[in-house]
Amino acid sequence: MSNNISFKDVFIKGAVIYNPVLIQLVGLCPVVAASTTLARAAMLSAVLCIELIVTCVISSAFLKKIPRWVRVPLYIIIGAAIICPLLWYVETQTLLNLSLGMKIFVPLIAVNSMTAVHCEQFSVKNSVKLSLYDAAAAGIGASFIFIIVGAVRELLGYSTVGGIAVNLPITFKGMALPFGCLILLGFLAAGLKAFVARVYPEDSENGEPEIKPVTQASEDYSQEATEVELFDEFWTESVEEEKPDIPVPEAPSAEKDEPKFSTAEEIDELLKSLGIDIDIKGDKQ
Amino acid sequence: MRMITDLLITALYTVFAQNLVLSSGLGMSEAIRVSTRPGTFGKFALMISGFSVVTSTLCSLIDSVSSLEGMTYAVRAAIYAAVLTGVYIIAAAVMRFVFGSSPKVLGTLGIAALNTLVFAVPHINNSAAYSFAGSIGSGIGAGIAFVLAAALISQGSRKLAENDEIPEVFKGTPTMFIYVAMLSLAFAGFTDSNIFG
Repeated sequence: MSNNISFKDVFIKGAVIYNPVLIQLVGLCPVVAASTTLARAAMLSAVLCIELIVTCVISSAFLKKIPRWVRVPLYIIIGAAIICPLLWYVETQTLLNLSLGMKIFVPLIAVNSMTAVHCEQFSVKNSVKLSLYDAAAAGIGASFIFIIVGAVRELLGYSTVGGIAVNLPITFKGMALPFGCLILLGFLAAGLKAFVARVYPEDSENGEPEIKPVTQASEDYSQEATEVELFDEFWTESVEEEKPDIPVPEAPSAEKDEPKFSTAEEIDELLKSLGIDIDIKGDKQ
Repeated sequence: MRMITDLLITALYTVFAQNLVLSSGLGMSEAIRVSTRPGTFGKFALMISGFSVVTSTLCSLIDSVSSLEGMTYAVRAAIYAAVLTGVYIIAAAVMRFVFGSSPKVLGTLGIAALNTLVFAVPHINNSAAYSFAGSIGSGIGAGIAFVLAAALISQGSRKLAENDEIPEVFKGTPTMFIYVAMLSLAFAGFTDSNIFG
């Protein structure tokens, strides 16, 4: 496999084909609860990108040898160490008047599932450079959705965009509520699915990605005997302490920059760990 | 008696009138993932309630220290994050070294403890000025609200998976989003929210 993985390769998969918000269903809290205007969405996006990139790079550089149950809370400590000073600076040293909601929701980004998923599934298994690429791609992909959602919610909910009045005949204040955002996300997810099927048919089956509902396998999990296998692998699998079902081979130095979930099986495994059953037939083997 | 009343009213309010998952989007990613595992709902309710109660109780005690009353939200958030992380690490260490729990159990503990729902409860208690009993009720309610949301998502999406009339492009995550939106709209009805206007 190629040793020269470009940012474009990682970006297309990380931001578009497996968009963190629309496909992986992570990072929903900030977009659903707080991205009610363009300004809010922009601020949350910026904080999310900074936090995600720094945490992923640090975890790739320093946390690979630490047991998972210790590593995961470290992500929160790192996130809080980035976000809280930023929030303190905005609160005390600038004239920005943050709403109470933003003062509550900005720190929540520190415990965002997007960070834990990308750190555990990618950063601790890959080089710092690839982790940076992956985090940047995920951050950009999520931010793009945040911005679109923020702008549409502000337009339909308040008849403004970026604070500039737009004369709409009616306003739909429900867009500011979580359900308005979720409906919008549903249509955006459908649009992305159609786009991927058209533009990246190799990543879908017969031109259409087969995305099954995450609960399709729920009957399989109803028996007590299988309960131990219920939990997301990203929380339960530990590189150091347990023997993973699929051993991750040590990468030779010449292939150090190869992403380790670049095969269809490993991407399937990643998505299954997120509770999403996507069959990537026709992917490169 | 007053304490019990406060506790129960706050818990009921947190579960139904202000379901933190469906009305506020807190812990929604985790709720959708956990919804694939109906057999674990009870365990999750217990763990999330436990972490929420312990974290919000400790944070409530910290908030009551008079010298910390004027602290900024940034400092408050840092303290809450430290409390949550500390509670999780202690619980995980006890489970690991005292009870010899498997990494899979610790994984469950991680999902239950380290999510936006549990982290938001102390913030909500503080901004809503809940009493001490109210804070405990809010923590208990958070766990029940989470499982209620996960159960509703689980049952509904199973039905959607059996529906062949859904357009191909909407199958999967798009219908999941729209279905959760309908649930969220139902809970918005409890809060007297203005939808049109």
